Amino acid sequence: MSTEAVVSAIKDSAKTRSPLRITGRSTWLDAGRPVRANNTLSLRDDSGVVSYVPGDLTLTVRAGTPLSEIERVTREHDQWLPLDPYGSNEGTIGATIATASAGPLASGFGLPRDLLLGLEFVNGRGDVVRGGGKVVKNVAGFDLSRLLTGSWGTLGVITEVTLRLYARPKADRTILVRLKGSAKESTAFLRAFLGAPLNPYSVELLSASASKALGLGSSKVCLIRFGGNAAAVDAQLRAVSSVAKPEEVDATVWGMLRNLESGAEGVIRISGSPASFREVAATMLSDEYPWISEYINPMRGILRLVLRATDDAAASEESVLGIDPAGEPDEHIIFEKLPAEAWQEIPGAVSDSLSQGIKRAYDPHNILNPGILGD
Amino acid sequence: MTHPTRAPARAQTPQVRSAITERLAEIVGERHVLSRASELLVYNSDGLPGYRKQPRLAVFPGTREETVAAVRLLADEGLPFVPRGAGTGLSGGALADDIVVIGLHRLKKIISLDVENRRATVEPGVVNLRLNKHVAPHGLLYAPDPSSEAACTIGGNVAENAGGPHCLKYGVTLNHVLAITVVLPSGEVVKLGSKVGERDGYDLRGAFVGSEGCFGLALDITVKLMPKPQTVRTLLADFTSVDQAAHVTSAIIASGIVPAALEFMDGATIRVVEDSIYAAGYPRDAEAILLIELDGLEAGVSADLGAVRQICLDGGARNVRVARDDAERMKLWQGRKKAFGAMGRMAPHLIVQDAVIPRTRLPEILATIRAISEKYGVLVCNVFHAGDGNLHPNIPYSADDPAESERVHKAMTEIMQACIDAGGSITGEHGVGLDKMGYMESIFSESSLNAMCELRAVFDPERRSNPGKVVPIHACKEWNAVSSGRLRRDASSWTDESEPRPLEAEPSHPSAE
Repeated sequence: MSTEAVVSAIKDSAKTRSPLRITGRSTWLDAGRPVRANNTLSLRDDSGVVSYVPGDLTLTVRAGTPLSEIERVTREHDQWLPLDPYGSNEGTIGATIATASAGPLASGFGLPRDLLLGLEFVNGRGDVVRGGGKVVKNVAGFDLSRLLTGSWGTLGVITEVTLRLYARPKADRTILVRLKGSAKESTAFLRAFLGAPLNPYSVELLSASASKALGLGSSKVCLIRFGGNAAAVDAQLRAVSSVAKPEEVDATVWGMLRNLESGAEGVIRISGSPASFREVAATMLSDEYPWISEYINPMRGILRLVLRATDDAAASEESVLGIDPAGEPDEHIIFEKLPAEAWQEIPGAVSDSLSQGIKRAYDPHNILNPGILGD
Repeated sequence: MTHPTRAPARAQTPQVRSAITERLAEIVGERHVLSRASELLVYNSDGLPGYRKQPRLAVFPGTREETVAAVRLLADEGLPFVPRGAGTGLSGGALADDIVVIGLHRLKKIISLDVENRRATVEPGVVNLRLNKHVAPHGLLYAPDPSSEAACTIGGNVAENAGGPHCLKYGVTLNHVLAITVVLPSGEVVKLGSKVGERDGYDLRGAFVGSEGCFGLALDITVKLMPKPQTVRTLLADFTSVDQAAHVTSAIIASGIVPAALEFMDGATIRVVEDSIYAAGYPRDAEAILLIELDGLEAGVSADLGAVRQICLDGGARNVRVARDDAERMKLWQGRKKAFGAMGRMAPHLIVQDAVIPRTRLPEILATIRAISEKYGVLVCNVFHAGDGNLHPNIPYSADDPAESERVHKAMTEIMQACIDAGGSITGEHGVGLDKMGYMESIFSESSLNAMCELRAVFDPERRSNPGKVVPIHACKEWNAVSSGRLRRDASSWTDESEPRPLEAEPSHPSAE
């Protein structure tokens, strides 16, 4: 697989107007709306490092490279790509960028758009296009790399990406604070913790059901990750100890949390102002539906709802459809995974005239992942 | 009062201009429309004085409603325009060649500040430093800090995707903008991004940031704020050779420590600054200094400070001085931030470059720049964001001397080519504007440039917003195939030359006018 192969696949499809489903390693195929395509263009075999100069802290890889491979290559130089989308590390970097998927580390290191320096893609006419570059700072030309990030393959097939890396921290420790007391106590802890001058890499508040699923006990918990030089991490751990009783846990807990979503029936992300989530976090994470795991990122203002299959079909249906797709005026509801039939109720993500205009310009025959973002 | 009949000397249709002037004056008030050549002189350049273009008219709306009404009027008439903030840009991007300037400096309200969620919504004319003064009492800051922060506007920062010394750790404007309300060149108002959270769909806000005024005008901008770091420490390391300082820069980056800022000044720049009113106490006999700032939690910063000091000493630093207090820190920074200004003492004109290179290539590229400057007998002053690999090789010269101009131009072209060959970019934070358009084809293929044209055409199908900038017009396939009939017919007296002539005719460096 190469850029040329992608070009020829797209040109063939454009000629016959036969749409393509664009995939990476097919680890997350049930996300997004149903795609109307009979053929699949997989980037699975277009994998590997194109260039890596550790001293520059930049890495260029082919789009089909799994995150686990990036982790392995960079670890040899004591570096990492601090990007941990929900799911697993077996997914590809191309799919991660195309879907703008982020995970707990986004609190400390930003979203995929913040780690991306440039990319190459093939548009729906089969033209090879590059946006951005390979250096850490660049404003040459209009920003096509940001445009492609989160476009779910509908504007072009990403074939190569250049990313910003970081040195692995000297210290990287994860703690857990159990929120067993009343909602008031939990809220008081959150206020004290989030108001303190700390720079956590990750903070996630887990519902009791999520905590149980990870084997962390039966109460709500707050998972916190600190990294940096040892002095900075120690000082932050001491600061948390002054307002709570943290327990140190193994860092593998983050991988387990991300994996909770594999095989879920539905994943819904609600995004709003961080302060509003902090206020309601303590009550929101109550354990009303055991088949729903919830976790809140109080720094980004994100609540994720992970729905598992349950025998209680009526209750399950009620819990999904009880969410108004339009959301409250001060929040956005993003449906990542839903049963196919549920999508009909959900308004499309790119229905505005600018988005439609860009789609027509970049994929005039509507052959790239048609339907995945709505019409 | 406007005096249409005395206005600019170029061939025009006075009736059209006069009617437009009057109708714009009805929208914004008489005193906020300029049409006299003498009044418009102020707007004939930006921060790069080598380029001069005389606007036809300048209009300064005072409210969002006036701005939208003015844009709609120009849309109805098919007239092109250039949005302008404070005019501090360094790429010729805010120049209007015989067309309308829409100055946004009167839109300077800080609309809201949400301390708890750390975000603020401002009008485009709010000056960068004023926003920072406004949020400072709440323990917050807005991170992007271009050296022109005391004058430049947030709207201009968004248009250029502005950087600054502290972008090394905190990222550029793009990383700090959450939402933008935009009036498109058609007059339609759209909201991009979200003030309250993260959205799905295409990242139109990301596409708009850095679009250099070609996608429309921002009416308000919602930005992220950060808590002020607990501790800030600033070091000054001085070296007897440029090469040592370059190697130390690479070594600090490779160590994994991310300084808040890592700035480089060479001997020529040090001496210019020390001779000026911005004298910062830099050692005059040094051939290079590094200004390094570390910030964060007290405990972590102390540990990094020791490590960075050791890297500097191991790399041959003569002295490493740590600023004792804020006053000393400010003085060290003042010299850096005013360095471009100080160069005004040396010669009437200054050519400013903004190339970016991979950071490991710094020693090699600085040696190449020195060789090129010797070959052409020009003085290159290097003052730049070393931590990002964002070079600013500047050459003071007199544009009135054609032979010198020629040598300066040749030297700069070679320097730029060396940076491109090293895998770099032609601009890190100043934008393409007019100045770097000639280099766009060196780094982007025909189909990449065409994709940029197509994106622009969605926001501005008639290409009336800041025409003739960023992407060379001949790179746009569609536009060349189908000319925009409506624009030409209705606005023939305004826009015959508003799109650039073929690229060869465009100066790729500030030239004598």
